[in-house]
Amino acid sequence: MNMGKEIWNLLRKDLMLELRMGYALSGIFLYVFSTVFIVFASFIQLPNTVWNILFWVVLLFASVNAIVKSFVQESGNRQLYYYSLVNPVSVLLAKMAYNVGLLFLISLLIWAGLAFVGGNPVRDPELFLLAMFLGSSGFAITFTFISAISAKADHNATLLAIMSFPLVIPILMTLVKLSANALGLMNDTGLQKDIILLCAMDGLLLGAALILFPFLWTD
Amino acid sequence: MVYQTWWKALGVVLLVYTFIAGLLIPLKPGISSVHPSNATAGEEVILEIKGYNTFFTQSGAPLRAWLKMDDTHALGASEIEIVDNQHVKARFYFPAFLPDSGRVRDFTLLLDDPFNGTCVLPSAVFITQDSIDPAMGKAQWVNAPIKGLHANSRLSFPFRNILKESIRNTYFHVPLWFSMIFLFLFSVAYSIKYLRTGAHDHDRRAHALAVGGVLFGIMGLVTGAIWAKNTWGAYWSWDVKQNMTAIALLIYFAYFILRGSFEDPEKRARLAAVYNLFAFVALIPLIYVIPRLTDSLHPGSGGNPAFGSDDLDNTMRMVFYPAIIGWTLLGFWIASVVYRIETLRDRVLESY
Amino acid sequence: MTNLVQRSAFLFFLLLSASCLSAQTNDPDFMQSVGKIYVAVGVILAIFAVIILFLIYLDRKLTKLENQIKDHE
Repeated sequence: MNMGKEIWNLLRKDLMLELRMGYALSGIFLYVFSTVFIVFASFIQLPNTVWNILFWVVLLFASVNAIVKSFVQESGNRQLYYYSLVNPVSVLLAKMAYNVGLLFLISLLIWAGLAFVGGNPVRDPELFLLAMFLGSSGFAITFTFISAISAKADHNATLLAIMSFPLVIPILMTLVKLSANALGLMNDTGLQKDIILLCAMDGLLLGAALILFPFLWTD
Repeated sequence: MVYQTWWKALGVVLLVYTFIAGLLIPLKPGISSVHPSNATAGEEVILEIKGYNTFFTQSGAPLRAWLKMDDTHALGASEIEIVDNQHVKARFYFPAFLPDSGRVRDFTLLLDDPFNGTCVLPSAVFITQDSIDPAMGKAQWVNAPIKGLHANSRLSFPFRNILKESIRNTYFHVPLWFSMIFLFLFSVAYSIKYLRTGAHDHDRRAHALAVGGVLFGIMGLVTGAIWAKNTWGAYWSWDVKQNMTAIALLIYFAYFILRGSFEDPEKRARLAAVYNLFAFVALIPLIYVIPRLTDSLHPGSGGNPAFGSDDLDNTMRMVFYPAIIGWTLLGFWIASVVYRIETLRDRVLESY
Repeated sequence: MTNLVQRSAFLFFLLLSASCLSAQTNDPDFMQSVGKIYVAVGVILAIFAVIILFLIYLDRKLTKLENQIKDHE
């Protein structure tokens, strides 16, 4: 079986599992809406600079909640079975691809939620969508890999947060800059450089994750 | 290497040299203040100049003073009176019109004599002109070309007006950062070695080097905060390099917590090594790429994270490079002590 | 014995930092005086303090280890 097909099948399996359980996904959506509600209940008037930063912060915490279960929802035995059946790297890639999609969906929801309650300050939707996609890929790659590490320990939710937040700060800083441009808060001429930098960071993290994953699952 | 003495002794010798040379070599003569610092065009002003580390009475030849506007325009002092070694009064006449279209223009003060060399104070005097006429200004300008400047040949560190004596911190703060990076690099190298061989010894070394690196990171942040407070006005100014060090420390604190959450030594070593490598990859853009793209308060920023010749002259290099080696060797010494204690503990745990 | 060393070292550090702080609060220009030399002094003292604290940490670690060995004998 070639790798592309493996990844596709695993992806379908993850999606089915998620849809069948249902409550996990709806829990995330509920989390997004309650956060948006709390933000507006406390701010009422939201300046655009704050909107920009809040968007990423809400996404960051939503992603941790969404991804933390990646490697713990299935029992160790069943995972071992997958690893013996298919290439372990495709397991990781399938989870990452699934999480990229999930995070992109969540970020769309946050955008919709924030726009619904407080108006939509985004002037350049294409750039914002690009930032959202690059951001969700970066977050998904980092969090998925770190959750593979933290799944081996107890208290893995806390561990995931403290281990991955410092790692995504460079991505977050670049993202805030990029989306500030999309909101018209800033007019940067070197936008290409930031986009390339984000792509490079995502690629670098993905490469490191692929090289290091074989050391993780061998128990 | 761990049990050998020569490199520890070398580190101590270099640090002793760093402390002696770094603290005892005096600063170059400089200008610490000028009064008054504001004047109007068409006025005659006597500037009271206060020197730092200067010996005006030993000038040897007449002391000269200029107020420089740009590379082609400079005013000469009409009369200079030396009060004592640290104080000089210079009389300047400002023409009624400046060859400049701005309302306010800053002038750089230069003092020169053979003994003290050239002392410079940028933006020493601000001159306000009521009516602006650059053409008149050009016609009226009596230029005093700046030439025949003397260099101070005695062994000394550069005088920077905002740093003064705290320029010595170059040997006590900056090398800590270099040392931290070296320790983390070696820690990552031993993590790779562990993943390739599975020898538990490599994991202990990686851990001990990370402990040393964190210690130097903390020292770098604390010393940097003290220096920043007295130079830039705040303990923490959200500078790229401060953020980078803080993030590196957060990563390694997480690394220690990760290690603490496993009982099985093999599992702990493997996962810690994987995290160490992954975190290092995530740090690469922060260390090498982002500082080149953003502005920083640190010297040599905005395109080049290294030091330029403005920040580090040859005398400073003579102390700075040994300081880097000395502090780094001290870091490795500390890490080796941690490693030996860990080895001993593991041996005790094994045998009982 | 080691306990005594620890305590005295810690006390020494506290006194040191306290004297630094009080000198700073009494005169806001203190750090800027004498050509900012006290900034360099402060930096060196800070390095010293961190190394002393680290030494205390190592000392405690070794004490624990020694006790383990002693208990076993």
